[in-house]
Amino acid sequence: MLKPLKGLLTHLLLAGGAFLSAMPFLWMLTTALKPEIALYQPPLLFPVHLEWENFVKAWQAAPFPRFFLNSAVMTVGIVLAQTLFSAMAGYAFARMRFAGRDLLFFGVLGTMMIPFPVTLIPSFLVVNALGWIDTYNALIIPRAVSAFAIFLFRQFFLSLPRELEEAALIDGAGRLTIFFRIVLPLSTPVMAASAIFSFLFAWNDFLWPLIVTNSTEMRTVQVGLAMFQGQYGVFWTLLSAAATIVTLPAVLAFLAAQRQFIAGITSTGLKE
Amino acid sequence: MNGVRLHKVPSKASRWGRTLGEWPAALFFLLPTVAVLGTFNFYPALYSLYLSLFEWNGLSPTREFVGLANYARLLASGEFWNSLRVTLLYAGGVTLLALALGLGVAVLLNQPIRGQAVYRVLYFLPVITPTVASGVVWKYLFDPTQGVVNRGLVGVGLEGPSWLSDPSWALVAVVVVGVWKRVGFNMVVYLAALQGIPKTYYEAAQLDGADSWQQFRYITLPLLAPTTFFLVVTALIDAFQVFDLVYVMTSGGPLGSTDVLGYYLYRQGFRYSELGFASAVAYVMFALIFLVTVIQFRLTRGGQGDA
Amino acid sequence: MKAHWLKTIVTTAVVLLGLSTAQKLTFWHYWDGANGQVLQGLIERYQKEHPGVTIEAVFVPGGELLTKLQTAITARQTPTMAISDLVAMPLLTRSGALAPLDDYIRQSNLNLTDYFPGPLVYGLYQGKRYSLPVSASNLGLFWNKNLFRAAGLDPNRPPRNWDELLRFAKQVKEKTGKWGLELFTQGGEGTTWQTQVYFWGAGAEFLNANNTAPAFNSPQGVRALQFLVDLVQKEKVAPVAPWGLFGRGEAAMVMDGSWMTQFFPQQVSFELGAAPFPFAPGGRPATNMGGEQIFIFQSADAATAKAAWDFINWFSSTPVQVEWDRGTGFLPVRRSVANDPAYRAWVSNARPLMRPFVDSMAFAKPRPPVARYPQISDIFAKYVQEALLGRLSPKEALERAAQEVAPLLR
Repeated sequence: MLKPLKGLLTHLLLAGGAFLSAMPFLWMLTTALKPEIALYQPPLLFPVHLEWENFVKAWQAAPFPRFFLNSAVMTVGIVLAQTLFSAMAGYAFARMRFAGRDLLFFGVLGTMMIPFPVTLIPSFLVVNALGWIDTYNALIIPRAVSAFAIFLFRQFFLSLPRELEEAALIDGAGRLTIFFRIVLPLSTPVMAASAIFSFLFAWNDFLWPLIVTNSTEMRTVQVGLAMFQGQYGVFWTLLSAAATIVTLPAVLAFLAAQRQFIAGITSTGLKE
Repeated sequence: MNGVRLHKVPSKASRWGRTLGEWPAALFFLLPTVAVLGTFNFYPALYSLYLSLFEWNGLSPTREFVGLANYARLLASGEFWNSLRVTLLYAGGVTLLALALGLGVAVLLNQPIRGQAVYRVLYFLPVITPTVASGVVWKYLFDPTQGVVNRGLVGVGLEGPSWLSDPSWALVAVVVVGVWKRVGFNMVVYLAALQGIPKTYYEAAQLDGADSWQQFRYITLPLLAPTTFFLVVTALIDAFQVFDLVYVMTSGGPLGSTDVLGYYLYRQGFRYSELGFASAVAYVMFALIFLVTVIQFRLTRGGQGDA
Repeated sequence: MKAHWLKTIVTTAVVLLGLSTAQKLTFWHYWDGANGQVLQGLIERYQKEHPGVTIEAVFVPGGELLTKLQTAITARQTPTMAISDLVAMPLLTRSGALAPLDDYIRQSNLNLTDYFPGPLVYGLYQGKRYSLPVSASNLGLFWNKNLFRAAGLDPNRPPRNWDELLRFAKQVKEKTGKWGLELFTQGGEGTTWQTQVYFWGAGAEFLNANNTAPAFNSPQGVRALQFLVDLVQKEKVAPVAPWGLFGRGEAAMVMDGSWMTQFFPQQVSFELGAAPFPFAPGGRPATNMGGEQIFIFQSADAATAKAAWDFINWFSSTPVQVEWDRGTGFLPVRRSVANDPAYRAWVSNARPLMRPFVDSMAFAKPRPPVARYPQISDIFAKYVQEALLGRLSPKEALERAAQEVAPLLR
């Protein structure tokens, strides 16, 4: 008897929070469709007159096709590398036993704790010494491993029941077989989570790609966005239009990833 | 409870693990990590530790060796201690509030609920939304006269402060936005972790007559402990370095009331070009976060159990 | 057959010759949007007129340009030339990475006395000149004619001094309930460079004559800050609030930059006026100046550096600068541009709002060219905020600011 009421309350609560969460994004969408004159008026959620033209202008204001290509190559490279290498490392830290394990793990964690601004110049010097300035190498390889993702995987593996792995070990399977045949297939939810964070990290990164590339041909979408935030004022409507275009792949990536979090569909392999 | 007992089954792994070091296999699993982090993280980090002993603006051809003077200057600076205080308040507020909210949303959205996918996207939007857009909207929401926040307060008979221009309230506003941005992140990680909990645990608990709160308290929460540990540690690391939010909302003001360490570091390193001093700031920040993390690690037996 | 051979030889020769004289210059800048397009247009014309020279102009976001230059200089990967905001010039001229321009200037007979003196000081270090101004901007008064009308003021009569500024502001507040004046109270350089205009307008200086000690804590400085504090605390015609009130029509007057003569008309829904900023009775007209400077890097070989200079010399010439300023809305850096009939006609016809800003160039002052200016600016702004919030008296605030600033100038 109480069930429908409880359901309604849950929805009310969720919807309120969801609206608050979505508001700035909605603002961006609606600003992208506004004529510039309407900017200083209170941010009504829906503009009366839709200015689709803004998207065309924004797209043409910078070489966006090239920027998208670069961002895509960089992001795909980083997501694949980070997911695989971080899962491997996370597994080693969660399950294997070897001397200096915790020390090494702390070293990995420690790299997250050094603020990026102070390592920028030395990192640049390394990439420069390797001759990678203005190449995809510089955009991908230094970020092919993520301490954050390693940590995420380690914690996930720790919470995974050990029974299956142990059975396989007793059957004489090696670590590699166990990892690729048993552990990874159980890890699709966390791989999805890690991948979406890697994606957002790479796609949204601005400073590092800017610093290690010198030519317009190697620039990424975030540098394109910066073009609308000028020294002498922000072109809000065009910025919003460009930001909407640039953010779209991130929304799609999340939509794809969240399908992995649907309880009961992903097999944990342990149901029976 | 059944679930807990299931989880605590003594590990057979102890038999093969302890005596044989697994270094050869581990080396394979860790090779990319060691190579990349070593080259592009450890080396630059050590280099900046070295730089923290110099006075250098990043441009001048000469660097002046000053020993530990940057550290001494830092510890004697009122601005630094103010930043540390602001950062601790910010980090504590955002970490705790976003953790609770993120877990709540994840548990609700892990049920087969109508509109599940839509809700998930909406709650994750703050993570995706470009910071400039978030900044503009939140500034507007906190506007003293036009903003929704103060209009709401007037509605219940209260007079709201001039949030972002008021040294006593600006940090509260920034924490609210920090939480807003973090909840979706925590939700996703919790959702992923919730998938790893075998259904059998709940089924067994239901057979034992556990209600849904008991199932949450004795199965879900303990099994999420490693994830919670992850979220607390990363939230603190992020909060200690938070920069862009403060940059677009308040630029550290008014009167330093939102001058978090991340922003303080940005000012020293990028705005003032004091790279030696900024490196010293970075290492003091590092020491603090590292210490906090080690303590958490110890308290939770390597991030495995309840804190 | 013969003709074919000949053609090949000739083509090869042309290509070889072309290669030997070809100059590829890279140029980092942060001119976005329309400004970037005007630059690209000029570069393409220059390349057409100077075959063999290619200029690759690369956009670097303004906020990150200095960081980019730092990494480039440290790794010796600099472009041929670049621009920078003039505030960063003292750091750059001291870096040892820039090439002195004095010989080029002498050889090309570039007339430096034609330049407004303000921005020129930024290029100087130890008696040598490392950069030239290529664009300028300054601050002035914008007012909302609709609000003036609603308040019973003459919509075409801006305040000329502080007494009028206060009187008009009070009248707007009384009659319309809107703010009289918007101040930039958010701290940082935004607060400092606006406050400097009030200080100069009251006869105060920011630093002493040779930039070795603070001078803002003079009686004139205290008077200027007292005026601002009174606007907020006593008269309550200006709030301590986030920036943007004027654009939304909630404040009748504001100090803003010459570039807003381009932005405001597209963004606001009221009638706009612009004028030189009012100054204190018994004070002097004053405004603050910003802009960009261009420079060549030391790392360029002699031929490349010469080619870069030739471009800079061409870019700085009066006709090209007229075109540049008309296209971008930047203010002239040279008097010959400001007095150019075509330029003046363009301002009158196309950009009447810009007239007061062009005229203000005659008395526009630069911020002091000191390496630690960003720190000094932040400290000064913080104490201005303390005073505006009523936490410290203007005198005490300025004394404390001076104490903190002094060591940074030694």
